[in-house]
Amino acid sequence: MVGLSVGEKHFIQGGIAQDLRSDGRKRLTYRPIYVETGVIPQAHGSARVRLGATDVIASVKAELGKPSALQPDKGNIAIYVDCSPTAAPMFEGRGGEELSTELSVALQRCLLGGKSGAGAGIDPTSLVVVEGKVCWDLYIDGLVISSDGNLLDALAAAIKAALSNTGIPKVNVAADATSDEQPEVNISDEEFLQFDTSGIPVIVTLTKVGRHYIVDATSEEESQMSSAVSISVNRKGHICGLTKRGGVGLDPSIILDMISVAKHVSEQLINKLDSEIAAAEASEEES
Amino acid sequence: MRGLKLPLSQTQRVRLQRAFEKLQSLSAMANSDASVTVADTIPVNYEDAFLKGHGTTDLNGELVATVCGVVERVNKLVYVRSLRARYKPEVGDVVVGRVVEVAQKRWRLEINFSQDAVLMLSSMNMPDGIQRRRTALDELNMRSIFEENDIVCAEVRNFQHDGSLQLQARSRKYGKLEKGQLLIIDPYLVKKSKQHFHHLEQFGIGLILGRNGYIWIGEHVEARDSMVIDQAKSTEQSTVVEGINQAYTPLEMRQNICRIGNAIRVLTSLGFNVDLNLIMETVELSSSLKIDIHDMLGSEFHVLVAEMEAERRILTTKRKR
Repeated sequence: MVGLSVGEKHFIQGGIAQDLRSDGRKRLTYRPIYVETGVIPQAHGSARVRLGATDVIASVKAELGKPSALQPDKGNIAIYVDCSPTAAPMFEGRGGEELSTELSVALQRCLLGGKSGAGAGIDPTSLVVVEGKVCWDLYIDGLVISSDGNLLDALAAAIKAALSNTGIPKVNVAADATSDEQPEVNISDEEFLQFDTSGIPVIVTLTKVGRHYIVDATSEEESQMSSAVSISVNRKGHICGLTKRGGVGLDPSIILDMISVAKHVSEQLINKLDSEIAAAEASEEES
Repeated sequence: MRGLKLPLSQTQRVRLQRAFEKLQSLSAMANSDASVTVADTIPVNYEDAFLKGHGTTDLNGELVATVCGVVERVNKLVYVRSLRARYKPEVGDVVVGRVVEVAQKRWRLEINFSQDAVLMLSSMNMPDGIQRRRTALDELNMRSIFEENDIVCAEVRNFQHDGSLQLQARSRKYGKLEKGQLLIIDPYLVKKSKQHFHHLEQFGIGLILGRNGYIWIGEHVEARDSMVIDQAKSTEQSTVVEGINQAYTPLEMRQNICRIGNAIRVLTSLGFNVDLNLIMETVELSSSLKIDIHDMLGSEFHVLVAEMEAERRILTTKRKR
């Protein structure tokens, strides 16, 4: 990340204090979101999201597997993020590993809920084929191509778009399976089931700079942050996950205030994202 | 339309396509036979003696281009000048750079070139304005003039024999830049002109178009004896920091800075040359249509700017004939 001079830092902080950021946005305005779906044909679903200069790709692959013994009625979902060295020079070699694990953990917490599976944004019970024996394993991979701040929001939007683009093959189970044997399954090549993505939450990251919070910080603004809270909110306005980054401590009342601001911002974001995803799928069908 | 990633509706796409077609037809008339791509043969009279310059090579007895660009002929020299190259410094260019290192008797600046440029301590005016030899004490106080990550405006002085670049900042208009924002664009979009420092009186804003693609937009500071002020600052660092906290840029000036910044961003994403007239026209277009500053980065304004530029170029070519 390039350093900033004292004058530039002062200018950025002044802009945030006066509600007019460097590119003319207000504190709670997102950059224009550009969504493309179906960018990886070999995956079951994929999407590319551009948020200003931040560019991320998410892909979804599904494989048949066995559900865990503790939760026989739920499928398995794994989320993993990789920061490509093309995004920033510091990601070269193993430099991006720390950030990758941080993003993966934050996304898992926000989208998959707790260890028992409670409070998950993505419903794992829809992935089961034969209870206790066969289920779908979803592998969701995110790739950061270009980083200009707000990676978490962009990745969550890309995952949402990729899941709405995902077609899980229809499975026919052989009817005469005894309780002990592994049932035979026939994966159809023709028919696909679309994933239901209306319940998937989006992540809104609020970055605190000085006394104000901003949404969708660029990497220059992120370098000035004292702390950042990422809140995942779904369409109903329920909080699905919360992550705090940054070393500065926050008063609990500030966190509650941030949560209400995030809920307010998420309504517009969900609507905008849904319309962008619909437009992207429509243009993908045309081409 | 290269790299223009915007959510465009169908009508906007059609309008943008039409504007670009108009622009292409205008430029194609100018010098269609002079532009070449890689492996094109260059039309040359092989009986005349000529010199093969940059971007050309001899392939099977024919002169073939190795880069995409425009063929230039200077006396007997034939070379291909590529259009989107890295910044190529010329002596006398005004550049804006960022200090990356404070070294012995010099500062190293990053200027979007393949190497870091060097600004010698002896090429800077001293704070007290007296012309004298630089002592060891001056060397120790270099940080009070420029620190790491400071933005500096300077002029290219010469090339060293080993290829590195030397800058000088002797005039009052060069020096540290504060109270503004830096924009980084492609260097080929900033063409050499008579003036690179622009003082926009109606906004009170100074605009510096660095030839290396670094553009500075900020509050206009008079060509001042800033070095004297800097000395006083360095001795009272803490109080000055508090003072700065209360003195943010006024809102109206900030709005103008952001509007000009967004105008430049729109022009670069459309691939137009960035010069003062075009920037001012874009800013006036946006304020006359009462477009919100952030909406200037939306698809509708991009299409409007492309149409405006197509109209303007058609008018200028008509006037020339």
